[in-house]
Amino acid sequence: MAGPSATTTQVVKKGWLTVQEERLFDFFDDRRRRYAAYGILLLLALALPRVGDNYVLEIFTNSFFYIVLCLGLNIVVGYAGLLDLGYAAFFAVGAYTTGILTSEAGWNFWFTIPAAALFSAIAGVVIGGPTLRLRSDYLAIVTLGFGEITRIAARNLKELTGGASGLIGIHRPVLFGLELRRISHYYYVFLALVVIALFVSYRLQNSRLGRAWRYVREDEDAAEAMGIDRVAVKLYAYVMGAIFAGVAGCFFAAKMTAISPETFQFMQSATILMAVVLGGMGKIPGMIVGALALVLFPEIFRGIGSVRMLVFGLLLIVMMIFRPHGLWPERRN
Amino acid sequence: MKTTALLFAAAVLLVGSPTGPARADIKVGIMVPTTGSEATYGKDMENAINMAVEEINAKGGVLGQKFTTVTGDDGCDPQMATAAASKIVSSGVDGVVGGYCSGATLPTLKIYADAGVPIIIPAANSTKFIDLNPGNAFLINALGNYQVDTAMALFKKLGAKKIAIVHQGDGYSEDLASLTKKRWTEAGNQVVAYELVNKGEQDDSAVVTRIKSQSPDLVFWTAYYADGALLIKQLRAAGYKGKITVGDGSTDAKLIELSGKAADGVNALSNPLPEFLPKGKKFIEEYKAKFHVDPGPYSALSYDGMNLLCDAIKRAGTVDKKAVAAALKATKDFQGISGSISFTDKNLLAHSNFVVLVVKGGKFQLAQ
Amino acid sequence: MSVFDIVIQQIVNGLILGSFYTLVALGYSMVYGIIKLLNFAHGDIYMVGAFVGFSILSLLSGTLGDEWGGILVAMVLAMVAVGFLGVFIQRIAYRPLLSAPRLSILITAVGVSLVLSNSAMVATSGVYKAFNTGLGYEGFDLGNIHVTFTQLVMMAATVVLMVVLHLFISRTLYGKAMRAISIDMDACRLMGIDVNRVIALTFFIGSALAAAAGVMAGVYYGSIHFFMGFVIGLKAFTAAVIGGIGSIPGAMLGGLTLGLLESFGTQLPGIGTQWKDVFSFGLLILLLIFKPTGILGRTEIERM
Repeated sequence: MAGPSATTTQVVKKGWLTVQEERLFDFFDDRRRRYAAYGILLLLALALPRVGDNYVLEIFTNSFFYIVLCLGLNIVVGYAGLLDLGYAAFFAVGAYTTGILTSEAGWNFWFTIPAAALFSAIAGVVIGGPTLRLRSDYLAIVTLGFGEITRIAARNLKELTGGASGLIGIHRPVLFGLELRRISHYYYVFLALVVIALFVSYRLQNSRLGRAWRYVREDEDAAEAMGIDRVAVKLYAYVMGAIFAGVAGCFFAAKMTAISPETFQFMQSATILMAVVLGGMGKIPGMIVGALALVLFPEIFRGIGSVRMLVFGLLLIVMMIFRPHGLWPERRN
Repeated sequence: MKTTALLFAAAVLLVGSPTGPARADIKVGIMVPTTGSEATYGKDMENAINMAVEEINAKGGVLGQKFTTVTGDDGCDPQMATAAASKIVSSGVDGVVGGYCSGATLPTLKIYADAGVPIIIPAANSTKFIDLNPGNAFLINALGNYQVDTAMALFKKLGAKKIAIVHQGDGYSEDLASLTKKRWTEAGNQVVAYELVNKGEQDDSAVVTRIKSQSPDLVFWTAYYADGALLIKQLRAAGYKGKITVGDGSTDAKLIELSGKAADGVNALSNPLPEFLPKGKKFIEEYKAKFHVDPGPYSALSYDGMNLLCDAIKRAGTVDKKAVAAALKATKDFQGISGSISFTDKNLLAHSNFVVLVVKGGKFQLAQ
Repeated sequence: MSVFDIVIQQIVNGLILGSFYTLVALGYSMVYGIIKLLNFAHGDIYMVGAFVGFSILSLLSGTLGDEWGGILVAMVLAMVAVGFLGVFIQRIAYRPLLSAPRLSILITAVGVSLVLSNSAMVATSGVYKAFNTGLGYEGFDLGNIHVTFTQLVMMAATVVLMVVLHLFISRTLYGKAMRAISIDMDACRLMGIDVNRVIALTFFIGSALAAAAGVMAGVYYGSIHFFMGFVIGLKAFTAAVIGGIGSIPGAMLGGLTLGLLESFGTQLPGIGTQWKDVFSFGLLILLLIFKPTGILGRTEIERM
């Protein structure tokens, strides 16, 4: 039965919010509309440096950086369902690779990017290879352990990594003759990274590998019965996630010009995980929402600084119980 | 209805928009940790700077203008610090006073340098600042190498030949530890143990046993008070009878509170604490009256930092950042309550301002 | 100090460390045994226990005094209070998710951990609190080594708690129910066992033990802070795995083993204190890869 009475019945059954969400989801389900939405966002992002001051640019550059990290962790946690509590380790590998190669070996920054990707991938294989067949509970703690090991190693290997003080005075990259030194430069660079990361994420999501990840996440044993190599599939996810973080790490090192082991503590991994979970695991627009929320929240509510993690922790619990699919709406079928 | 509302809104915006008045204020940025584990130090520094600002403004300001401040929270974290520095620069400051954690302050120097803003640093003092200073940072707390001078003189006085050095694995303490080790061994002495204590870790039994097994004459702790107190307690509980010295990162009343009786006789290296300065008494009283707490260890230096900035502006005769930076560089014998301030050609203090304290009867006193 | 002295000292160190690890590991093992959840927030329960004990002792030090009498009373009270906290957390954060995907409950546990540690951080403004007691360093000497009475009392208390727990598990009905549920929860439900109650009790006991460890840590080390649960959580988990997760005697064995391994490990050249944690984590990872059932654990049969 069409008409107003049907809608009313719908609303009564499902709740107003759910219906609005479904509308939102259906609206964006159309590919062209999605592209259009992203297109508008991109235009707005490109226009921002004209009107925003350095502070605003700094905040958004930071957000872009976290979007890339969230997209990477999303592959591991959202697509493949692996709880990684030590994601910052890969980010560290990328940052230190760039830092060490440019400062001590005099490499050109742009060549360090494939190097960082390679080392991150190796790290992913080394860490993931033996451990991904473990139960998710164990895997979580093991990844945390690896995160700590990476941080401690970075702190102790003074000759290589600068020890506890870290690497300082990392050279700024030069792009077509222009030295990247102002925040607006990095804004555009990180924006480009976000675009690339989004593109790769969507391609992965819609690929055979992406489907395999979904099956494994839903029911590992059934997936295995269907012929999917469970461990290999998980390893691909893990390594992809590592590469995302590694490449992000390169640019982080270039922008900060100084990196130290303190940036790669457990809190960093937990923070990225929270953004992924709150935004909506497995959903790409959710990653944008989550990362923006993460960075903008403490800036908007200035006094909330120290209570931030507390609030996020509560949100995490509340989310898991009442809204496990995160902030971004989900298809209901 | 809608159109009227829109017109009204537009009118308000047009009328209310800033017309860019002539600048009547000199803006100073304060960059300190106001959240996180070092927040008490940061707030203390902020208080002292604001106190100086109020005094200056009460006397009419400088060059006919008054000061306003804007605070950025660096949270003792490099990422937060760069965001804070960006924010401060965006608000159009003419100068910055701040910097407590060296690890967080170092990456911000470039941001300030790119904007031409001079920064006076009253607390952070890692030797890394020497090489990595773009030229716009002025350090009014004596650097680690001066602290090592004072430390070595103290060790000699105490008759130590074999020492153990313990740090916490962060930039500041590791820097101080390695510098001390290098110079102590170069002077022909021995470092029999060089250990690390993880921040936040309570059980130091492994370190204590390793130290004890080497029987050093003295243990030198180069990091912060929280973990230092734990180490001191456990050293004494294990029966270590030698001397203990702590670096300026641990020189805080809380060290004594957390160590209890074990703190007796511990030597502490310190930059000028207000209670030991000749002009300190007045400063302490005023600070207490204003903020209802005792001034902290870096309050005197922060206070001096703000006054130094004001003095430099006066000497430059203008608020132009370049001129102010030049005037700062040329500072000769500026009399702050922490002592006389002059800069070397690398913008460092021309002489050490470290003193040696000793814990007696539950309080710090000047050692003789 | 002679080599003999060092050995004795490191044994003492190892036993003390081991006591803490054991008490916290027991909670991990018990909860894992019964609902197959690694309670990521368990380390923070230890921290909360320390703070609760500290608060009680401060509030009541007038009447209790701050020597052993007062400390033990504060510890027991803290154990009870934190035990109930554990039950509360289990009830509102974990129970609703027992049939949800694994990932959800793990993430919730991370959330609980963050809430606990950050609440403590906000409450203390990140500052370490001095846990001052009237205890001194009196003890006796074993050669060059000084063993304090505090250390002895703590080790004794740990043994007492372990014995009590063992008796409880093996002799009482609840203990039997716990063991039964860890083997097959659905069968127990069908047999009329109030599974929820037993789970709640498990959390109560596990949390109480962790709180006891927390109070003892506060007394022994003299200061407590909001992040002290993090590392002990990981170490205690390692201990539980060493002994065989899900096994209570395993947790006891694992705790002592890890304590001793760590203490002696730092004597090895090349490791020292800076690599100590890497040593422990490395051990954990190797164990999980090659012998995840630990020393006393059972191989799990996955039911389809």
